[in-house]
Amino acid sequence: MNATGELATVTLRDPVFISDLHLTGNQPRTVRRFVRLVEELGSQGHELVILGDLFEYWAGDEEAAEGIGAVVTGTLRSFTQAGTPVYVMHGNRDMLLGDGFAQATGAVFLADPCRTELGGVATLLAHGDAYCTLDTLYQAFRRRARDPLWQRLFLRSPLALRRALMGQVRRRSEAGKKRMAAQIMDVTPEAIEQALRSAGVHRMIHGHTHRPDRHRLDLDGQDAERWVLPDWEFDAEPRRGGYLRVTGRELAMVDLAV
Amino acid sequence: MTTVHLNTSMGSITLELDRERAPRTVENFLNHVRNGHYNNTLFHRVINGFMIQGGGFEPGMRQKPTTKPIQNEAANGLKNDKYTIAMARTSDPHSATAQFFINVADNEFLNFTAPNTQNWGYCVFGRVTGGTEVVDRIKAVATMRYGMHQDVPDQEVVIETAEVASE
Repeated sequence: MNATGELATVTLRDPVFISDLHLTGNQPRTVRRFVRLVEELGSQGHELVILGDLFEYWAGDEEAAEGIGAVVTGTLRSFTQAGTPVYVMHGNRDMLLGDGFAQATGAVFLADPCRTELGGVATLLAHGDAYCTLDTLYQAFRRRARDPLWQRLFLRSPLALRRALMGQVRRRSEAGKKRMAAQIMDVTPEAIEQALRSAGVHRMIHGHTHRPDRHRLDLDGQDAERWVLPDWEFDAEPRRGGYLRVTGRELAMVDLAV
Repeated sequence: MTTVHLNTSMGSITLELDRERAPRTVENFLNHVRNGHYNNTLFHRVINGFMIQGGGFEPGMRQKPTTKPIQNEAANGLKNDKYTIAMARTSDPHSATAQFFINVADNEFLNFTAPNTQNWGYCVFGRVTGGTEVVDRIKAVATMRYGMHQDVPDQEVVIETAEVASE
């Protein structure tokens, strides 16, 4: 939401939605699969919409200058230079993607959540972590990590220190997940309903939970649906990954791992 | 000279506001002082070495309703130096309402550098002219996580009253 409390909107023509690729230097197959998808989509004229966690971590826009950061930003750059837009929402792993990344790629940031229209149906787009409301420890972390004042303080420290700190947070989060009940790490139905209601829409697309699915739900007596995007993994078994596309009025999930 | 007293549970802080360099921000702050918005609110976020933030929560960490956001006047040349006061906001540069913070260090990385989302910076609109020792005591309090919030003082630091001392 912006300062006046209105939901941001984005106009999409023929989008493909992906999220949770968690790209990192030590998963070269996943990175290559991403590069290939971007090349295919570019030639077909699809807009690419990334709903968070494109990267496993992003410690600041210096990441765009080297390694996997340079490979991925270069790939997106050629995509946008060919005239097809790329939209990027921040995820919990890459919330420090900043103006430097936008300049290096030509991508446009999306607010989380934001509203669009797909096949004539108003749709809410989100990363999804905001709806995991049972995980209060995470929500406290999210609130601070997304605070612009805190981000400025953090970005002031040396890159190596930022990477180390973010690695610590990831390791702690992975360890925590093993102890936590599954439902705590999923979205809560009440939070989803509240988000749909306040946006005045009956469809939502999000990622984050790594539980790809199409959920149908009843929202105040009307049909509503929630699409959850898949996470990507092409370097270890089980291989998985895919995207959501819009064909006419229909949404369809495409599995890239088969 | 425009001065405001923040009478806190840890002592009184006197602020001198810069009406000339930050007219809209000062007017907005004074309005909140006059209508009693800051009475019985907390310094709810304390990060020693950085800043102390307040003006948006009542005791018990109850968030107060926000008002109309104001234009960011951070390009006014005032710097986020130690003991200056600036408006807090979301990532939208023009989203400040009532919450403010007092810098407890020279935070040059909060200054305006360019008129875009990432570089607009935080609008300084005054400075602490009395009670710097109160600010120093507040910045040193122990903090904890409280529900959704980090860096919350263990013992509440309350702004009991805020009053305009001179205009």
